[in-house]
Amino acid sequence: MKIYVPLDSAAVALGADAVAEAIVTEAARRGVTIELVRNGSHGMVWLEPLVEIATDAGRIGIGPMTVADVPALFGGIARHPKALGLVENLPWMKGQTRLTFARVGVIDPLSLADYRAHGGMVGLDRAKAMSKAEIVAEVTESGLRGRGGAGFPTGIKWKTVSEAPGERKYIVCNADEGDSATFADRMLMEGDPFTLIEGMAIAGLATGAAKGFVYIRSEYPVAIRIMEAAVRLAREAAILGAQFDIEIRVGAGAYVCGEETSLLNSLEGKRGVVRAKPPLPALEGFMGKPTVVNNVISLASVPVILAKGAAHYKDFGLGRSRGTIPLQIAGNVRFGGLYETAFGLTLGQIVDDIAGGTATGRPVKAVQVGGPLGAYHPRSDFATPFGYEEFAGQGGLIGHAGLTIFDDSADMLAQARFAMEFCAIESCGKCTPCRIGAVRGVETIDRIAKGDAAAIPLLTDLCSTMKSGSLCALGGFTPYPVLSALTHFPDDFTPAKEAAE
Amino acid sequence: MLDSADLSDRIAEIIADHQGLEGPLLPILHAVQAAFGHIPQPAVPQIANALTLSKAEVHGVVTFYHDFREAPAGRHILKLCRAEACQAMGADRVAGAIKAALGIDWHETTADGRVTLEPVFCLGLCACGPAAMVDGRLVGRCDASVVLEVSA
Amino acid sequence: MKDFIIPDRDFGTPAAKSKRMVTLTIDGFDVTVPEGTSIMRAAAEAGIQVPKLCATDSVDAFGSCRLCLVEIEGRNGTPASCTTPVAPGLKVQTQNARLKQLRRGVMELYISDHPLDCLTCSANGDCELQDMAGAVGLRDVRYDAVDTHFKVKNTSGEANPLYIPRDDSNPYFSYDPQKCIVCSRCVRACEEVQGTFALTIEGRGFDSRVSFGAKTDDALASDCVSCGACVAACPTATLQEKSIVEIGTPSHSVITTCAYCGVGCSFKAEMRGDELVRMTPYKHGKANRGHSCVKGRFAYGYASHKDRILKPMIREAISDPWQEVSWAEAMEFAAAKMKGIQTKYGRNSVGVITSSRCTNEETYLVQKLTRAVFMNNNTDTCARVCHSPTGYGLGQTFGTSAGTQDFDSVEEADVIMVIGANPSAAHPVFASRMKKRLRKGAQLIVVDPRRTETVEGPHYKAAHHLALTPGTNVAVVSAIAHVIVTEGLFDEAFIRERCDWDEFQDYAEFIAAPNHSPEAVEILTGVPAEEVRKAARLYATGGNAAIYYGLGVTEHSQGSTTVIGIANLAMLTGNVGRRGVGVNPLRGQNNVQGSCDMGSFPHELPGYRHVKNPDVRAIYENLWGVTIEACTARVRTSCNPIPTRTTSRRGWRRWNV
Repeated sequence: MKIYVPLDSAAVALGADAVAEAIVTEAARRGVTIELVRNGSHGMVWLEPLVEIATDAGRIGIGPMTVADVPALFGGIARHPKALGLVENLPWMKGQTRLTFARVGVIDPLSLADYRAHGGMVGLDRAKAMSKAEIVAEVTESGLRGRGGAGFPTGIKWKTVSEAPGERKYIVCNADEGDSATFADRMLMEGDPFTLIEGMAIAGLATGAAKGFVYIRSEYPVAIRIMEAAVRLAREAAILGAQFDIEIRVGAGAYVCGEETSLLNSLEGKRGVVRAKPPLPALEGFMGKPTVVNNVISLASVPVILAKGAAHYKDFGLGRSRGTIPLQIAGNVRFGGLYETAFGLTLGQIVDDIAGGTATGRPVKAVQVGGPLGAYHPRSDFATPFGYEEFAGQGGLIGHAGLTIFDDSADMLAQARFAMEFCAIESCGKCTPCRIGAVRGVETIDRIAKGDAAAIPLLTDLCSTMKSGSLCALGGFTPYPVLSALTHFPDDFTPAKEAAE
Repeated sequence: MLDSADLSDRIAEIIADHQGLEGPLLPILHAVQAAFGHIPQPAVPQIANALTLSKAEVHGVVTFYHDFREAPAGRHILKLCRAEACQAMGADRVAGAIKAALGIDWHETTADGRVTLEPVFCLGLCACGPAAMVDGRLVGRCDASVVLEVSA
Repeated sequence: MKDFIIPDRDFGTPAAKSKRMVTLTIDGFDVTVPEGTSIMRAAAEAGIQVPKLCATDSVDAFGSCRLCLVEIEGRNGTPASCTTPVAPGLKVQTQNARLKQLRRGVMELYISDHPLDCLTCSANGDCELQDMAGAVGLRDVRYDAVDTHFKVKNTSGEANPLYIPRDDSNPYFSYDPQKCIVCSRCVRACEEVQGTFALTIEGRGFDSRVSFGAKTDDALASDCVSCGACVAACPTATLQEKSIVEIGTPSHSVITTCAYCGVGCSFKAEMRGDELVRMTPYKHGKANRGHSCVKGRFAYGYASHKDRILKPMIREAISDPWQEVSWAEAMEFAAAKMKGIQTKYGRNSVGVITSSRCTNEETYLVQKLTRAVFMNNNTDTCARVCHSPTGYGLGQTFGTSAGTQDFDSVEEADVIMVIGANPSAAHPVFASRMKKRLRKGAQLIVVDPRRTETVEGPHYKAAHHLALTPGTNVAVVSAIAHVIVTEGLFDEAFIRERCDWDEFQDYAEFIAAPNHSPEAVEILTGVPAEEVRKAARLYATGGNAAIYYGLGVTEHSQGSTTVIGIANLAMLTGNVGRRGVGVNPLRGQNNVQGSCDMGSFPHELPGYRHVKNPDVRAIYENLWGVTIEACTARVRTSCNPIPTRTTSRRGWRRWNV
């Protein structure tokens, strides 16, 4: 009997470890031989822990599992009260185009054999037969843009590093996924770490870099453990070694280190303050050497691009947003989790159809797209197709493709205040607009809350100073949630709203 | 409690384990904190000397990152997510109830030294908030009862 | 504002060194500057001052204050002019309505966290924050600031946890955190200019504060060496000389030379009336380039010390009290006495000693007085004690006893060998310049029995420290030469062209003898042979290699021989005659070179011309209209011409730059 119990953080946070333990105990008690696989998550967080049992027909899902549901597993799966049928046939799974996440949830994350059996290493093998320029051209042709948020074309970044003079170059994977509502990097690292390793190895071939780092935030203990184990296994299998090796590094509690230059400072052992650009990290990055800094999903999308060809990947998407994007649907949501799809779904389709509205059943008031620096979108924005330019056109950004859904009980003034507070807490402190501006932002919103109408234009001015004046996106984009809340939900900022009631 | 010679020996071992790395300071500080529960003051000049840094630089790094403590925490560390996705699921309410139950605010430790309460901004559990981390263990859809886990 | 105090313009970012020129347009004016220049500096060259606070041309651009934002045609956003380099054809706008609004917005934030006590502030009139508030036209601060760093108590009357009281622990300057704008100029000056890294920013975000290294450390307890670079860099009253707090801002300044060590830093003595308010390093000083050490910067109490003699005084006998007289009376008295002594005891009965702190003009006049008036050669100088082996050794090998480089040269060195010197303590400003180069990747070899702070410190560490037994300099230098010769690391083309190949053959045979090998001398020197070999290879093959040496070489009985050996190393490897290389004595006083040049030694007339040579004497006899004494009766040279075969005096002297 082959049983899958996810090791994914979300599944674990909802009791997967206890379920796994109970399964082992119950099997022993019944004298049933089982093979327990700790896999990644399929991304249906509302069903976690989602246990699967392999049958001749396929993998049957049962969830959300509790310890109490375990004994029934051994008495005919189909009759289990929480049996869901074949996981691959669930609507959530059928609706997706899983390119980057094809193996996540499917394979044993730490089995190279499983990885290869599901198409792993095909991209790297192909890249080995190509020249540096050919690999770069393939990635450029795919239209892949940085999935960390900035959306810079990955191929162009690689080309700069590839052509930069210098013996020593680096591939740095930005796994400092600090945005609320984002967990794609975490799920990928926990569920299919070899894809990231393969993507980085291809980046190494394309640029001539012999060393890679994965900088993972300390808030991700499971991802750190799995990545370290995967790197060890890859070394033993000679996938990593003298030609290209990877080291796992752990952050230390600083959101701003998700910004590439602060990340590099942190990696070098310095204070994680933002560096001014130029010089670009592609020319003077880690230790002053040419460095590719790419997000986990960007790098993890490379193997499939190499394996299936740029055209295959490019065929998905709309406009200048090519390929697929792993949407992370979070917050007050009925069906939350990870949904990989081609660019182009409208916000309304995502929120109402895929996510099924709020968990509380109340109307959706706002959706924050792109993490703590993303705008709050009202229902009137729901026709916006999911793409870089399309969201920019609505005064927002898609960022790392996280969506936080709020019901109508949300106080948008409080959310605007939190955006400023978060910026104040996480500011590196280097540039003035962010360092002082965020603190003044909180104070000014407090004035508005107390009914000081004069503070509203001051807040608008402050946002304009922060937006144009800040050194990086932390101070520069904090005005997005603040101003969008102010613009779209003016009633929440109306002085003396309580007095009127 | 280690005496100063033991402390210095242990730190020297940690430094030696990491010295070949490129940019070894953060891995060393993580290891020191793992060994001692905080970054003891004498570690700063010792690490600085070993890495040809100044003690001011090491101090600057230690104080930049919220993970590093200059004093030991309580016996249990309770981290509650304060970020938006968890807020949407009532994280503020849960935090308020926990603060009231423990009688402390963020970054504080209960008088009996039992629990330190820390905010955290995202554990990547955004579709099952509010999220918490109790002594390194992840908790999804948490409520104020999470306090019971640290009352031992 | 106070251009009469600080007449040096601040270009915002350091000068670029490229020879390639770039032309761009700034506010409609064409500007041509070297490639790599910042837009801010290019604008300054064109006379356009872009507002700035975190930029100053002594440290690299940082980009934190966000006042210097500009618009560039065809580019998104408002890039900082300090961190954006020029490019051909750029069209830059430094002032328009949007930029004005933006700068006011930034300034409003700054002032919301700064006390409004300008009138009573010690930096009033000499404060860049004040200047910039004026420059951007800030007229109102609309924020009701709750969190600040300057209010002692917060709005509810409780102690403000963000307030940090002033740190007066350093005797020379104070640190007042409430006035700090966190521009990091002090931190960067301590790192980039001084190289001590005593300062850091502690915490992050709004909590970011300048720190002296640990919560428990005040300025005095920290690694700070009181060089004053942070104080010079501070745009506000946060880091300020206590003398300014006590006396007030100066009204005028005089350029002068530091009277302490052999670096000879240029300073501005900033005065109010005839009261010295402070000494600030002079930006255009060729030795120090705007840097200083604690001695010149703060230890100037002698200038107005009560023991200082301000009027001429005379006395008949040592047992008599001094009596103040007029200058005329004093001169007459001295002349009569000297004459009297000579009349009674003979021409050679009087002599003169000058200090190497005297100027060239003074030294020249004193030796002329001796030779042309007292009619003897009884002139000498304190340079005799510290560096006469340099005079002799370099004279014998190079034909002139001068060091070969200026202090700027170290910026181009790839390998720096420091022998018998600890510049970190004795020549601090040179040490700072050397460490700056080391941090950029130059390699360091230290030959010194002591493990000084020159061997290792923040961001530098000697590749090789040859900790020799005292007294074995010649053996170590010879062993290095042995390795260079026997391993074929010498520069044959250089020697053939610039030295004497035949003489070199003799020398090579001599030095290649097994008794000079590192292995043979290890028992004497205590330096592991392999270390000597590695150091020799690095010196010979590591690019531009420069030797700096001090009293640990010269104040030994074999000082001259070591100097000759050092000069031979440079000639062997072709490390002489261009920038970044050379043989550089670190002197004891600021004008050792000049006092020797000017003929302070009894045996040499100005320009190192021997007094025994009648042709030489004839020149000065014609000029001065007197007969010059040919012998040096009273004072004998005390240098140590130990017979050595390391070089032929005439052969190597043919080398010429």
